[in-house]
Amino acid sequence: MSEGVRTPPSRGGFRFKVRGPREFYGGLALIGLAIIAIWTSGDLPGTHGFAFGPGTAPRLFAGLLAIVGALVALTGLLFDGTPIERYAVRGPAWVILAILAFAGMIRGINAGPIHIPPLGLVPSTFTAFIVSIFGSTEMRWVESLIAAVVMTAFCVALFVYLLQLPFQLWPWI
Amino acid sequence: MSELLANLALGFSVAASPYNIGFCLLGALVGTLVGVLPGIGTVATVAMLLPITFGLPPVGALIMLAGIYYGAQYGGSTTSVLVNIPGEATSVITCLDGHQMARQGRAGAALSIAAIGSFFAGCVSTVLVAALGVPLTSIALLFGPAEYFSLMLLGLIFAVVLAKGSVLKSVAMVVTGLLLSMVGSDLETGAGRMTFDIAELSDGIGFTNVAMGLFGFAEIIRNLEMSQESRDIVKGKIKGLMPTRQDLIDSSGAIARGTILGSLLGILPGGGAVVASFAAYTFEKRISKHPERFGRGAIQGVAAPESANNAAAQTSFIPLLTLGIPPNAVMALMVGAMTIHGIVPGPQVMTKQPELFWGMIASMWLGNLMLVVINLPLVGVWVSLLRVPYRLLYPSIIVFCCIGIYSINNSPTDVVIAAIFGLFGYWLNKHDFEPAPLVLAFVLGPLMEENLRRAMLIARGDATVFITRPISAGLIAVAVALLVIAALPMIRKRREEVFVE
Repeated sequence: MSEGVRTPPSRGGFRFKVRGPREFYGGLALIGLAIIAIWTSGDLPGTHGFAFGPGTAPRLFAGLLAIVGALVALTGLLFDGTPIERYAVRGPAWVILAILAFAGMIRGINAGPIHIPPLGLVPSTFTAFIVSIFGSTEMRWVESLIAAVVMTAFCVALFVYLLQLPFQLWPWI
Repeated sequence: MSELLANLALGFSVAASPYNIGFCLLGALVGTLVGVLPGIGTVATVAMLLPITFGLPPVGALIMLAGIYYGAQYGGSTTSVLVNIPGEATSVITCLDGHQMARQGRAGAALSIAAIGSFFAGCVSTVLVAALGVPLTSIALLFGPAEYFSLMLLGLIFAVVLAKGSVLKSVAMVVTGLLLSMVGSDLETGAGRMTFDIAELSDGIGFTNVAMGLFGFAEIIRNLEMSQESRDIVKGKIKGLMPTRQDLIDSSGAIARGTILGSLLGILPGGGAVVASFAAYTFEKRISKHPERFGRGAIQGVAAPESANNAAAQTSFIPLLTLGIPPNAVMALMVGAMTIHGIVPGPQVMTKQPELFWGMIASMWLGNLMLVVINLPLVGVWVSLLRVPYRLLYPSIIVFCCIGIYSINNSPTDVVIAAIFGLFGYWLNKHDFEPAPLVLAFVLGPLMEENLRRAMLIARGDATVFITRPISAGLIAVAVALLVIAALPMIRKRREEVFVE
């Protein structure tokens, strides 16, 4: 989904030109989503007599989405729009990595080739904090480490001691 | 009338119990604290703090959540005035005049007028919620599945009309939300729908995950992209917190008008505090004798939107408490919180749990009073909070959100889903799609499907039931009219664009 800024090339044979790339590619992606939905809900039973089946509403909404998506894409062909801004890589990548690290460490993973033992709240929070810090260009080591320790302590105090939520704190308990 | 007073008395007896006052104060305080932080909105704040209320008794939990909600709203305006970065979407418009006032050394006056306006609006709308509760609940009894479906359709159309930007794109977001809400087990047969055989998806995509992803993580990713220019915090000590007589006289009209406008927009499904604040500002500027003063520190430009957003924040409880339909994303989170405590929102709450219903309403008034009392002296604390650099703030928000999401179901998969929605929200932003209509549709989707199925079954498959039943027909007529009105200027404009070439 990273189209980036794209100046519409004037290739021969291409009769139409993308005037509103935000709308055009946005609409196309929505059509894609609708197609996935129709494909995955295809085997669900549909309307039976007067009664809706489980598949009726999903296919109804997916069909609707395909139509609206097509209309949005069409406006991108007919009317001039703003070019798509560049997608940043650094920020999103580190932020998502941090969230995934938390999700993977808190209870551990045992899927296929990846084996992570359940590590508990303290290591997960600390790691997620440190990883997410790389998303900014302004990180400073000492300050970040102190902040990570403070935040981890705060979260443990709040969620485990004050709110009494059941968390495993360390890998060994 | 005497019944209303009796009800309010019951409410105050519940809300004024030491525990509940404590929860109310705590909620308002924590809500303000998080609301002050720039780059984290009301929805994300409420979603983030939702787990804190899990261990509380139901009444206390809802009182605290309501406190968090209007606290967050109030905290947002403090940030707007002092830093010129809106703490919340509802206070974007407050930046314009509030920050100008602060630059002219009148930060104290701006903050106190915002607080006074909010308090006045809170008082009026609390009475409004109490007064409209009973009649609306009796209307709810007339509603069958067809009427409920049409009402929710109207709510979605409102969300489309009131959203920023293109009507067509908002419709696209509504449909996307409806489609995403279909993931999970079918209500009647239990068949897994679009679950890709992932066990965690069989209960559907959790609303908190969607809200945190779209409003929390996506927001952070976007903020990281912007240049981290140094914040323009108002320097020096803020003095003169009390507004002058002239300030009060100047802003009284704006506060009253903002309150009325906000109350109305808050009740409408699909409306809400953001729209109310924009509408109130525009209205105030239009009727002003000196529109040129707006944007240069006009006190009316602070008073009107701040009153309006608070009024709307409170009256948006009306559809939730009487009809069981959440009119916006925050109310949808309240539904989640109620469900966790075993309360089904709807007309039966008032009859079966009057102490919950009236206690919450009374606590809103108390909460607003507390906001005035606690916030003005605490301005110094909020200012120092604003000096925390974003490079340390955002990792804290991320880990806090992660723990919050995880703690709801003890499910790491929920955290991953929120991450996916974070990326999705980033993508939506790049393509100018508004997430708000999507989120509302996501919440209403299952309710709409349920009522649609029931209505069709009762009508023996006759789809005209929606236009033959009078209430339903009326609601649909309003929805269609709204959509046409909203789409017309766009079409006309587009046509002009075409003709220009």
